[in-house]
Amino acid sequence: MYFAGVDIGSTMTKVVLTDAADNILSSVKGPTGPEHRQLANEVMKRVLDQAKLKLDDISYIVATGYGRVNVPFADEQITELSCHARGVSSLFPGVRTAIDIGGQDAKCMKIRNGKLVDFVMNDKCAAGTGRFLEVTAATLGIKLDDLGALSLKSTKKIEISNVCTIFAQQEIVARLSEGEKVEDIIAGLHHAVASRVAILARRLKVEPDVVLTGGVAKNIGVVTAMREALGCEILVPEEPLLTGALGAAILARENYDKAGKRGEPVTTKGRRLEKATFFTK
Amino acid sequence: MTWFIGIDIGSAYTKGVILKDSEIIAYHTIPSGANYRSAADTIKQHLLKQADLTLNNITAIVATGTGAASADFASRQASEIVCTARGINSIFPQARTVIEVAGQASKAIKIDERGMVKNFAVSEKCAAGSGRFIEVIANVLRMDLKDFGPLSLKSTRPVTFGTGCAVFGESEAITRVAEGIPREDIAAGVNKALAGKISSLAHKVRLEEPCAICGGGALNAGLVKAAEKELGIKLLVPAQPQIVTALGAAVIARS
Repeated sequence: MYFAGVDIGSTMTKVVLTDAADNILSSVKGPTGPEHRQLANEVMKRVLDQAKLKLDDISYIVATGYGRVNVPFADEQITELSCHARGVSSLFPGVRTAIDIGGQDAKCMKIRNGKLVDFVMNDKCAAGTGRFLEVTAATLGIKLDDLGALSLKSTKKIEISNVCTIFAQQEIVARLSEGEKVEDIIAGLHHAVASRVAILARRLKVEPDVVLTGGVAKNIGVVTAMREALGCEILVPEEPLLTGALGAAILARENYDKAGKRGEPVTTKGRRLEKATFFTK
Repeated sequence: MTWFIGIDIGSAYTKGVILKDSEIIAYHTIPSGANYRSAADTIKQHLLKQADLTLNNITAIVATGTGAASADFASRQASEIVCTARGINSIFPQARTVIEVAGQASKAIKIDERGMVKNFAVSEKCAAGSGRFIEVIANVLRMDLKDFGPLSLKSTRPVTFGTGCAVFGESEAITRVAEGIPREDIAAGVNKALAGKISSLAHKVRLEEPCAICGGGALNAGLVKAAEKELGIKLLVPAQPQIVTALGAAVIARS
């Protein structure tokens, strides 16, 4: 038996295929375009090809993320908070605080015994989200993937005093013209992100184990800055982008099992992989 | 005869005024650029040339704004809040509140009948609460700032921006353009969003009428209209809203 989790984020679409024991068989990440349906369909085909499976081999599919309603072949939609909490606690059973910094938002989740008990999120302001780094990296003319490694070379602490992403852009230009080094500025930007997220996380009382996920967790500079801001160890999964999709796949398996135990039919006939065409309003 | 100069060095523009007693005989606005010192010098030269005066004719010069310290020829510096209050008082003596929408901040100031500051609130942490938001969206719509107000007034269905963030607003505007939403509805939506922020700032100081609006943002007729609707009152708009703070600096130089 196989299960799939599809996580359509604002920036990246992630799909994970699992077996009955929640082992990951294959996974694919691709940028989210404006056409969610078309992209979810493409990513799904790729992940099936990788595992040499067909859509009909999948017992149950759960879609999550902000584009979850645009997945016409999913059997169920579940919010990203539940999926993240489930995915993180399967990888780190001792997790009590999970922080996810995505492309367009940041979420902090309080988890007890694998269950989500409380959360806070910021999706109103670009500061403290992946977008802050995206915009400021572009101002510096540096690739997003290179930020982490570059920031480790920093020797001087520079404070980016503007919270607002747009004002920070201006501040970066001013710092560069003052002759400050790029790596020091990048480290300053990482501290700025970390301190925004830490303010958010403290609203929930941060307790270890603390796990950081989302695309921004791939940036070692932010992870280091988060450790400093929260004053505790931060665990990062090997694939921090996939926890939402993994959680969706695990929830797919659990919900499928539950329905089976109750003797209810699990409907999968409504899947329209090929019919997924263009995303319309 | 005595002449006074007021210079307001802002983050985006540098403004200057020459007062002859209580009459404005010269005023000018230039982009501040990267160097406040050269902006201050340029505006001083320009004003003197325009009024056909030399520096020796000027009794006193007051500088204000973000870059006030760069105008080393000034006799003294004054705070922007005080200058804006004095400036608006000299144009509209009846005004008891003034809202200033500038490039990087918005302010609401309560004043008494002599133009003295009673209370104020500033929004400077977030681009979505300042004129900068308009600039960002004008850029998406590929239009001149001066056309923004007139265009937005043609709107019949202003779009609603989902967040209070200029960065997210920029992406939203791009999406709306791709969806084929008319540009005037997007422009009017931005004015409405900014008017909302200005209105909560004005409520913070417990706005008292009559209320005036100034700063570069007041050049945008669509924003003024949206703010009037949001506040439910009529606003007094000076003919040259951008130079109010510089005028206030000149008034302070005179006194």
